Amino acid sequence: MTQRAKVDVVVVGSGAAGSVYAAVLAEAGKSVLVLEKGADRKLSDLYSSQIWARRLKSAAPHVVEEGKDSIWYNFNAGHGYGGAAMHHYGVWPRYHPEDMLEQTRYGKGLDWPFDYEQLRPWYDQVQEDVGMSGDADKEIWRPPGAPYPLPPLPVFEHGRILARGFAALDLRTSPVPMAILSREYKGRPACIYDSWCDAGCPTGALANPLVEYLPRAVQAGAVMQPHSYVTRVLTDRAGKQATGVEYYDNDGVRHEQAADAVVVAAFTVENCRILLNSATGVHSDGLGNSSGTLGHYLMSHPAVSVFGLFKEETHCYYGVTGGQLFSQDGFEKDKSKDIFGSRQWEIGLGTKPNDLLGVAMSRADLFGNDLHEFVRHGVRHFGAMVGVCECLPHAANRIELADGKDRFGMPLARVNFNLDDYARNLWQQTADLGVQIFQAAGATEAWHSPPGGQHIMGGTIMGADRTASVTNEYAQLHDVPNVIIGGPSVFPTSSSVNSTFTAHAVALRSARHIAEHWGGLVG
Amino acid sequence: MPLTRRNFVKQSGLALSVTVAGKTLCLTPRQAYAQGVAFTNLSQVEVDTLEAICERLLPGAREEGVAQFVDKQLALDPNDSLLFLKCFNVEPPYLAFYRSALAEIVRLSEATYSRAVADLDEASATRLIESLRDGTTEDWNGPPPPLVYHALRNDAVDVVYGTMEGFADLGIPFLAHIEPPAVT
Ligand SMILES: Cc1cc2nc3c(=O)[nH]c(=O)nc-3n(C[C@H](O)[C@H](O)[C@H](O)COP(=O)(O)OP(=O)(O)OC[C@H]3O[C@@H](n4cnc5c(N)ncnc54)[C@H](O)[C@@H]3O)c2cc1C
Ligand code: SF4
Repeated sequence: MTQRAKVDVVVVGSGAAGSVYAAVLAEAGKSVLVLEKGADRKLSDLYSSQIWARRLKSAAPHVVEEGKDSIWYNFNAGHGYGGAAMHHYGVWPRYHPEDMLEQTRYGKGLDWPFDYEQLRPWYDQVQEDVGMSGDADKEIWRPPGAPYPLPPLPVFEHGRILARGFAALDLRTSPVPMAILSREYKGRPACIYDSWCDAGCPTGALANPLVEYLPRAVQAGAVMQPHSYVTRVLTDRAGKQATGVEYYDNDGVRHEQAADAVVVAAFTVENCRILLNSATGVHSDGLGNSSGTLGHYLMSHPAVSVFGLFKEETHCYYGVTGGQLFSQDGFEKDKSKDIFGSRQWEIGLGTKPNDLLGVAMSRADLFGNDLHEFVRHGVRHFGAMVGVCECLPHAANRIELADGKDRFGMPLARVNFNLDDYARNLWQQTADLGVQIFQAAGATEAWHSPPGGQHIMGGTIMGADRTASVTNEYAQLHDVPNVIIGGPSVFPTSSSVNSTFTAHAVALRSARHIAEHWGGLVG
Repeated sequence: MPLTRRNFVKQSGLALSVTVAGKTLCLTPRQAYAQGVAFTNLSQVEVDTLEAICERLLPGAREEGVAQFVDKQLALDPNDSLLFLKCFNVEPPYLAFYRSALAEIVRLSEATYSRAVADLDEASATRLIESLRDGTTEDWNGPPPPLVYHALRNDAVDVVYGTMEGFADLGIPFLAHIEPPAVT
């Protein structure tokens, strides 16, 4: 591998957030190098297969998980160009204003360093960039914002059947806010509803990083480099400025890449691991950790899958993986003395026979001929939706360095995660309600999954107070401002909303700020 | 034209690149099983045990080449692996997981029923699998038994139902954008 000259910006990770930073900074005329630990992937590598979809997941190094609850690291983390976002489902709701003012409004959780109104134009810009489909009027819970550029995706049999249950219980549904094209957009084709999103959409209908921001970055001159595993951010002797990164290539050869600014966008656990591993004499507890909060306030949405069988055929293998309908009825947080947190439903998930979210796994207790019988019937009559719940940020939920090391000698990450009683009770209430909804929709059988962890947030939280947070409102480390953090690790609260739209909006806001204040940053 | 079990070398998505008599062939796990292609990672006892238990977990898995599929996947870098086990936070290498799990299943079967898994009658095999699923195995020294149950059960589901051929058998459309490639 050739040793490259110093660049303006090195971006660590080519996923959702890294791709936005790379595009904006390259378009602002900066020389940008994207270092990605996984493989160089193209849309044409995305084979329609739940089995092949696993190639997009990160397996090593593994994360040492402690605590009572799992963040489902391997399910959530990606590997290779596009990161986890390469095969994410494109469900893109916005955070609500109250999600960002939780401490002020409820005396719980944390406040963001800016409010919804400040983020709103960036959501509007991102949805225009990628081409979102939805119906802003029917999505009655939606915070203010520009209407979607494209009409909503259609609803098929699966969605129509489940909608009956919501209607019977006086719960409202709407089209899903989707980063999937219902019509051709900017030369990209519309979705054809074959429900292979989990394997990665190769047509460009779903806005994964290879569709919009990475091509823009490359067009503007950014260079992408696969198989480059970043282990540390390097700083000057005074510890005031980052000078680049250390990384290893596939042959285990160590490199240093000099840069004026470093964007760490390696997803939540890796972001913290890299910063913790970047400790020096000056930053002895990890880079950006003068507040002692680096790695802390880890969050993951406790989610419940609700399943059922119906007399009629549901055609659950059609549609899109992320669902055909959406509901945020029940989003209000202050539910009772024992239950706190918002919730949302993604309804009518496209389901194939195998894999973690497949028909066979929904009845993990069955085996032998019973399993055959169940799958043969299930693939035609199956219904699925997911209830996503909020979890509050707690300092005790954290990412640290473990004793074990990876193949480059970098310490593994250790995660300690325990849901509080508010989240546990909210999850149980959601699971019970989900089953009731299925019964009201006419399910002959309805059941729910055990808790699962969706989206991983926190660890490098933004805050106005540098003694209680890791990054400022533009996701720059308080301690070393030419290190910028990308992704949901900067979120101070989790809401129950899928995190990728907000990760894009936050990254776009920060990247534009960095580009406009470049002199102050590197000067 | 309906897809049949025979015409699936290309489409199955799980085909293996194997060398037989000096020639590199591209076979589905099912064909590799039928042709008795040599295993490279699993021992014969491990293969027999894996096939026997997967056949009980989902009849048909043996003939679909579940052991061939697992054996070839175990040779890959864990990040490239297609094994279901990858969805769980299991420390690679995955061969260590399979080796330890299968050794414990062999031991459990011998200790409880005085015979190999392949020779168990249906009632005994069912009880053994239930004890894995429910985590009630005694003196177990391997990976968590329910995780072993899930991993092996889903390997069986993958080869039986997760392929284009499997979808065709179920009578549901596969609707591929890009057909899974022939070579792993
Ligand atoms: C199956 C699935 C479905 C999902 N569906 C949705 C959805 O519908 N809606 C939604 O909002 N979100 C969804 N998500 C979540 C979404 O994908 C993530 O929130 C998002 O991708 C996180 O963005 P990121 O940039 O932080 O990380 P990623 O997109 O994962 O990118 C991080 C990149 O950094 C690389 N990297 C890691 N460590 C290093 C290192 N040391 N050196 C160099 N590179 C490194 C990784 O390989 C990866 O490419 C889904 C996720 C999954 C797995
Ligand atoms: S259903 Fe639509 S978004 Fe999903 S993979 Fe197919 S074309 Fe792409």
